[in-house]
Amino acid sequence: MATIGLIWLCLVLFAAVAAPLIVPFDPLDIDPVNRLAEPGWPHLFGTDHYGRDTFSRSLYGARMTMFIGVGSVVFALATGGLIGMLSAYFIRLGNFLMRGIDVLMAFPALLLALVLMTLLERSVTNTIIVIGIVYATTTARILFGMTLKLKREVFIDAAICSGAGHSSILFRHILPNLISPLLVQASFIFAFAQLQAAALDFLGLGLPPEVPSWGNMLSESRIYVTRAPWLLIFPGLLIILSVFSMNMVGDAMRDSMDPRFKDDIAGV
Amino acid sequence: MALLEVKDLAIAVAVGGQLVPVVHGVSFTVEAGKTLGIVGESGCGKSLTSLAIMGLLEGSQVRITSGSILFDGQDMLTLPAERRRAIMGADMAMIFQEPMTSLNPVYRVGEQIAESILQHRKVSKAQARERAIELLRLVRIPDPEGRVDSFPHQLSGGMRQRVMIAMALACDPKLLIADEPTTALDVTVQARILDLLKELQDETGMAIMLISHDLGVIAETCDDVAVMYWGKIIETAPADELFSTMAHPYTRGLMASIPVSDREVERLEAIPSRVPMLGEKLDGCAFHPRCGRARPICSDIDPVAIAVSPSHFARCHFPGEDQA
Repeated sequence: MATIGLIWLCLVLFAAVAAPLIVPFDPLDIDPVNRLAEPGWPHLFGTDHYGRDTFSRSLYGARMTMFIGVGSVVFALATGGLIGMLSAYFIRLGNFLMRGIDVLMAFPALLLALVLMTLLERSVTNTIIVIGIVYATTTARILFGMTLKLKREVFIDAAICSGAGHSSILFRHILPNLISPLLVQASFIFAFAQLQAAALDFLGLGLPPEVPSWGNMLSESRIYVTRAPWLLIFPGLLIILSVFSMNMVGDAMRDSMDPRFKDDIAGV
Repeated sequence: MALLEVKDLAIAVAVGGQLVPVVHGVSFTVEAGKTLGIVGESGCGKSLTSLAIMGLLEGSQVRITSGSILFDGQDMLTLPAERRRAIMGADMAMIFQEPMTSLNPVYRVGEQIAESILQHRKVSKAQARERAIELLRLVRIPDPEGRVDSFPHQLSGGMRQRVMIAMALACDPKLLIADEPTTALDVTVQARILDLLKELQDETGMAIMLISHDLGVIAETCDDVAVMYWGKIIETAPADELFSTMAHPYTRGLMASIPVSDREVERLEAIPSRVPMLGEKLDGCAFHPRCGRARPICSDIDPVAIAVSPSHFARCHFPGEDQA
């Protein structure tokens, strides 16, 4: 399953990188004559209510998907990871910071994103920041626990004994031990960021409406769903397949990094 | 001047807002190039004392309530963190009980040794690696050029302890604190690690402070011995003197409870009763409830250290009595 997922993600990545070169039409070109055309030739996935080519928009959507995914992951891991590690290491600071994280975690993820989005202007950057904040909370929580445990390890005492300072202990001795949970966390954030972004787009609070993203396409298609179901089916399928693939790859990554699962994998 | 001088060190644990004393003012010295053994059973405060010297109690529930730790004439307790870090790992190094967990699992052993060299010496990465290989050879690890790139999990317990020793020796320390360095190892490996420490001491001239609950280990390696009981040092003497004339009944009890393989015994001697609880209030000598020769005065007055000989002290009202 993970292999299929990986292949699909590579396809999406390829589409994202190569979109401007391989699209048959400009994703923003309006063609009133061919509006709501059925899938076929030359419009593989049909056209929407402005006559824009759905296939081209889907390819550009892959671009947005990757952009939002990578952006949210980087933002969430950097902020959440730092908060979690510092909180656990300087426990006084942690008592303060982690209570803030607790408050943020009390909101359902989508609600929190909605609240933050209403405060900000609709833009790609803001969408990334908001999704990043939502998932920074869980990252902080996970790294907080792991760092608490790690800093009691004897090898950390040994590092202190060898004269290592705070930053050296945090970044040279603790952080490398957190790489595998961070990678697994990254894969799940990547997947959830897609859903979150699609949901925000659908509710009209995510990316600006003119940006071709899978979520925006879904959102725009809903009024035409009876006349042009392909407008819903293609972006919907793309989201489902991509999120599913990311989850599969994430699972596989977690299993391969956790020595306890090693035997299970070998048995499969 | 002694290399390490611990004076009236008292340590307490914060339990529910209250400070429960666990180490009641211990004093001892480690002379340059000599080995001091600290022996005592679990919970007597010997490890806490070593952690206090290395400054590893910071941020825990444990507080140093009084006393001073003079290393090379500098008080480690009042030294600014920056200056203390410059000493730790360079002039003073420590090895730990669990060789399984005292190495960082994500680094190759060579990198870890190099790391502690780079912390203190201005050398290039390549030079640090050279030095790491040299240190691995010094601690008698076979094929040091190959082993330098091993991860800790690829090494056996004895090997890991050798790597730890190599790391501790990275900057030629004047003092090596070894907290139960052989306890987690099996007996044959134990002997080899102790021999290694002895040989390294002869080669480098460092002082060793060896903490152990094993009188056999102490007898084999130490010049001087301090016996701890319930947070106090109850007997100090040069090793040969201590093992020929034990003055404190607790020391003798410890000795009698070691199984000896060349002598048939019905039952192993055990010290009756148990160690007093932490924070328990005791009048008089802490050992009197378990002591075979306790007299009324023992439960009233805590004995001071009495000189049995110029170099041999025991905290007992009747030291050396009823010698066997």
